[in-house]
Amino acid sequence: MNWRKLRTFLLTVLVLCLIPATRYYQIDVPLVRFLQGSRHVDPLLLHLSGEFVENNLGTEQEPDGSVTVRMIAQQYLFIPHCILVPAGVPVHLRITSADAVHSLTFNGTDYAVKVLPGTISEAQLQFPRPGEYPTPCREFCGAGHYAMRSELKVVPRDQFPTLRPEERGNCAAR
Amino acid sequence: MQHARGFPDSGGRFPWRRGALISLTLILVAGTAGSALLLQARDNPPDRIPSYVAWTPETIAAASRGDAFRGMLLAKRCDHCHGAEGFSAEAYIPNLAGMDKLAILKQLEDFRSHKRLSRVMNPIAESLSTRDVSDVVAYYAKLPAFADPQDNRIFPQSRPDPAHAASASRLVSFGDGERGIPPCQACHGPVAYRPGVPSLETQNAVYVLNQLEAFASQARANDINMPMRTIAGLLTDDERHAIADYYGSGRGLEPASSTVPK
Repeated sequence: MNWRKLRTFLLTVLVLCLIPATRYYQIDVPLVRFLQGSRHVDPLLLHLSGEFVENNLGTEQEPDGSVTVRMIAQQYLFIPHCILVPAGVPVHLRITSADAVHSLTFNGTDYAVKVLPGTISEAQLQFPRPGEYPTPCREFCGAGHYAMRSELKVVPRDQFPTLRPEERGNCAAR
Repeated sequence: MQHARGFPDSGGRFPWRRGALISLTLILVAGTAGSALLLQARDNPPDRIPSYVAWTPETIAAASRGDAFRGMLLAKRCDHCHGAEGFSAEAYIPNLAGMDKLAILKQLEDFRSHKRLSRVMNPIAESLSTRDVSDVVAYYAKLPAFADPQDNRIFPQSRPDPAHAASASRLVSFGDGERGIPPCQACHGPVAYRPGVPSLETQNAVYVLNQLEAFASQARANDINMPMRTIAGLLTDDERHAIADYYGSGRGLEPASSTVPK
């Protein structure tokens, strides 16, 4: 095999590897799905069943001390509108979109989570300092995109368990 | 037949194997049953479902296949409150002329399933079949929203004072990015619509105000993924009144300003 053929072969392999790399989140490997749990949800049926029904949204305390935050991004709101997490604790974020592509950005931190309809976006976050972080949408999602903004409140770790469960889940609730 | 090797019965080289296999199977079955029982015993609160309507292609097809003429005959029952031309004579009753098909369909389905509560509308919606709903929806979507002096509608109500109107105009056109309130017209038109969202341009002020207050107090909770409960809760009382007056005075029909009002 001369070097031209080799070069053509290697470039073909490279391109074939790059195509799935740009769409990695759409690849559905049954074995991976079985091992990780399915990350596919129907964006039209979020409110009917599954983990994104409205009384399951917000912060949930896990037995190992970490917290899980479940959110929905919808034109032009993040739901719940205000989330509350303890400082210095691993935060497992699970978010999905009900319509368009959104992106949840935590101002003041390096975190940005892309939110796609039909897929649960997961992220492991940690917020060392208490405070209030605005969380705007950073992916143009429609006419009201610029006003799509919610809030993350990070409270001291010892204060979090003293809050009432409904306050803990969603600080927008009065 | 002689069992010299392989899987023997109790007389072969591995007399313990069959017993081990049976006990292993028993342990597996017991474990599976036990864990299934444990999973059931975990008391998860029941799912709160805001509405049984979902914007699947089937729902949208059901809303689109209505017969407007049959709907007109059925809507004779609705005339008494919602007006013969789809404009009501009472401020707390919504105008339905020109309303989006999906919007009326969703509210009728929610009245039928008691996800939205109304002493008047729940029995009426229960009396309608799926076909009736499609037909009524098709009729009201076809009704024009232009002014008719012969009708006893109260729709364009008197204009509020300018300061009041400016705050509403800002919220309707631009929202409030600081508080995370999206502009009303990004979903309720005329800029853009979401499926099942009613246009508010020809809606009565008192009706809009009542619904905003019901959403804010969670008395009405049939919005899918709770956008309206969230937004109405973020608005102040003055802002709710201002938005209701904005739509009730017919300002939603005028061309929207492209600059932030002073």
